[in-house]
Amino acid sequence: MKRTFAVVTDSTSDLPADWSKRYAIEVVPLKVLFGQETFRDGVDMTSDQFFTRLAASSSLPTTSAPSPGEFAEVYRRLAKDHDGCISIHIGARLSATAEAARVGAEAVEGFKVNVIDSQSVSMPMAFLCRVAAECESLEEATTAVEQRVPKCRVLALLDTLRYLEMGGRLNRAQAMIGTMLDVKPLLLVSENAEIKPVERVRTRSRAIPRMVEFFRSEQPVEHVAVMHAQAADEATSIAAELRKELPDLEIPVGQIGCVLGTHTGPKALGLVYIKK
Amino acid sequence: MVAALKATGVDGQLFKRALLGSLSWLAANHEEVNRLNVFPVPDGDTGTNMLLTLQSAVEDVKESNAAEVSKIAKLASHGSLMGARGNSGVILSQIFRGFARAVEGKASLTPAELAAGFEEAANAAYRAVNKPTEGTILTVAREAGRAAATAASNPDATVPRVIAAAAAGARSAVLKTPSQLQILRDAGVVDAGGFGLQLILEGMLKSVEESEPALAALNESRLPVLAASQVALALPEGGWGYCTEFLIEGNNLDTELIRGQIESLGNSVLVVGEPELVKVHVHTDDPTSVINLAGGYGKVLKLSVGDMSTQHRRILEAEGGAGGARPARPNGAGLVAVVAGRGLVDIFRGLGVDAIIEGGQTMNPSTQDMLTAIESVPYEEVILLPNNGNVIPAAKQVVGLTKKKVHVIETHSVPQGVSAVVAFRPERSGDENMRAMKAEAERVQTIEVTHAVRDTRSNGVKVKKGDVIGLINDKLEIAGDDYSEVVNRALGKLGPDSFELVTVYRGEQASDDELKRLESAIRSSYPGLEVEVQQGGQQHYPFILSVE
Repeated sequence: MKRTFAVVTDSTSDLPADWSKRYAIEVVPLKVLFGQETFRDGVDMTSDQFFTRLAASSSLPTTSAPSPGEFAEVYRRLAKDHDGCISIHIGARLSATAEAARVGAEAVEGFKVNVIDSQSVSMPMAFLCRVAAECESLEEATTAVEQRVPKCRVLALLDTLRYLEMGGRLNRAQAMIGTMLDVKPLLLVSENAEIKPVERVRTRSRAIPRMVEFFRSEQPVEHVAVMHAQAADEATSIAAELRKELPDLEIPVGQIGCVLGTHTGPKALGLVYIKK
Repeated sequence: MVAALKATGVDGQLFKRALLGSLSWLAANHEEVNRLNVFPVPDGDTGTNMLLTLQSAVEDVKESNAAEVSKIAKLASHGSLMGARGNSGVILSQIFRGFARAVEGKASLTPAELAAGFEEAANAAYRAVNKPTEGTILTVAREAGRAAATAASNPDATVPRVIAAAAAGARSAVLKTPSQLQILRDAGVVDAGGFGLQLILEGMLKSVEESEPALAALNESRLPVLAASQVALALPEGGWGYCTEFLIEGNNLDTELIRGQIESLGNSVLVVGEPELVKVHVHTDDPTSVINLAGGYGKVLKLSVGDMSTQHRRILEAEGGAGGARPARPNGAGLVAVVAGRGLVDIFRGLGVDAIIEGGQTMNPSTQDMLTAIESVPYEEVILLPNNGNVIPAAKQVVGLTKKKVHVIETHSVPQGVSAVVAFRPERSGDENMRAMKAEAERVQTIEVTHAVRDTRSNGVKVKKGDVIGLINDKLEIAGDDYSEVVNRALGKLGPDSFELVTVYRGEQASDDELKRLESAIRSSYPGLEVEVQQGGQQHYPFILSVE
């Protein structure tokens, strides 16, 4: 049976390129701004290009959400051959994207858009999109996605907290990370897109096993992916290790996009998953 | 030309020129708007967001020769919606949208129609916002509209006068925003979004009438406020509390009654809705009481509680004030450490230690000192870090002297103490923390570098008074002539291949030069090690190194 509703997400979902086609998922890009230059995440600039530019740039880039009008355009186009739409977005606590989608949807009359605040970032959103895409009706998809929203998790290991702090997404005192010493926290993004540290470690080689250990304590999970920013080797070896333990899961390895990369910085690693 | 303008109303091309004027005036001043941005999070980009939104509004307008004001207004509305960024940008787009709706179908506007357009623009903005806050761009839009309407009711009303009145109304509303919003008052600034809107109206005025005396005043209208690069905000008594929002679902809900009761528990209270569903927003130090109260009226839905103090603290910390209050920890254990040296005190505090007893190598704190510190922290369970072999015995004494459950982790050195604290997790029980912290403390290796105070022979090492000596994990292992040499030999003894990171805590006596030489000596001898330098400020030990 052909699905009659559309599935939309934004570029912070890190949706694998082939999923967009295979599951007919529309991706609306956020933007990265280097000074006066604006790039659409994943459209005008790939993740690799972004990190190359970041390394060469003296000032940090900023990011911005798609405008309500950009969402309205997408919905209007989809309204032509769909009878509704589920639009799954980055946690509203982290970005204005979901709000822009909501305002944009209101501008398109007669087309039902269910905007979902995923309360998360990165591939958990992509998994939610796939769940939605495999449903038969918009109502079924909405229910299936809403059930999973509180179960999305992003376990992240950042090489430096500089980028997250500059973007205003982290408070060291609250996170008990300290302002003096270089401490590598293992951060967990859970319900309501709340970012909190679950471990503090001083060296990367100790932090990676801790991350995997923490993930093991979170079983059972329904979907999991290993994400990275310019740390493909480490990500691949984490995925290989986990595949042995969880033979029923596919465990894709993905790259963090430009907009998320602005806040994670290079060499970030993430285990992202949806709990059962 | 001015006379011609006065004679006619606002047609498409005049409105276009007004918008271009707004754009250039906002472009010239948007950095000033950025500097005002303190609400709700200090990210400093309101001016840029508004400018980019306005640029997008004007983009298609620039190309248009439409004579009808309705067409230009519609292009601006569409463009601003497409380019809206940030909260202020979205509100600005709604202002354009409201204006466009009000002038729909009109070729040209009379002064009264223009004023009505301004008023409708403000109304549209209010409607678009889930919870309108006074003292923001919304208030400024409304006051501008009111002032325009008053001016338009005058028989001599002209288009420039209506715009001038709107700009003046905006300006006086902007100046009042600090009295409406505590955060602005504390910061000593006016609202950034509101000021941005004022600039937009002023820009319109500048472009439609270059010679009006009202304009002379414009240049004086730069803000009578403090430079707000990073404003030091004073923490109101009891902190900022929690931004608490929820819905109450019930029957015959009385918003007035609920508001009255909630107002006694916090500020920025907003209670709106219908008898069956009421939305509540409040800033309170006691969200639990608010929620309990609300629960008495009906079912509490969509509850969200955000800690505003943490946002606030970030500004304070950026200012270098490390003394910000820490949020109370749930259930967990308190942390108390014995530390000497200013830098080390800051490091331990920054990592979450609740109380510090100054002391160490030569100034061993008493059991009483430690007892006092333990009693001072608001936890029934406390982990105590002596951080020096000589302090451990007194620390162990404390255990039997208080009703509190005290765990002593026998840290012999600063590096052991730091490693233990890093492994601390507030939500974990005292016992669990104890185990994890002990394991971390034992994993780290300590090198301490000082001068021998007399001739001696210890641990098989012969030492002359004044020699540089290196202790590895409390044992004298090396004697030499200079810091770099002793440290390198100590690292060699530990076997640097099994380690990743060396943290150098620089003591009070070590000079910049000595530090530089030590750093480069480690780097060139052991290129595989990461080296981090911290100002420890400890006495007696020019260098303490942690190796892990």
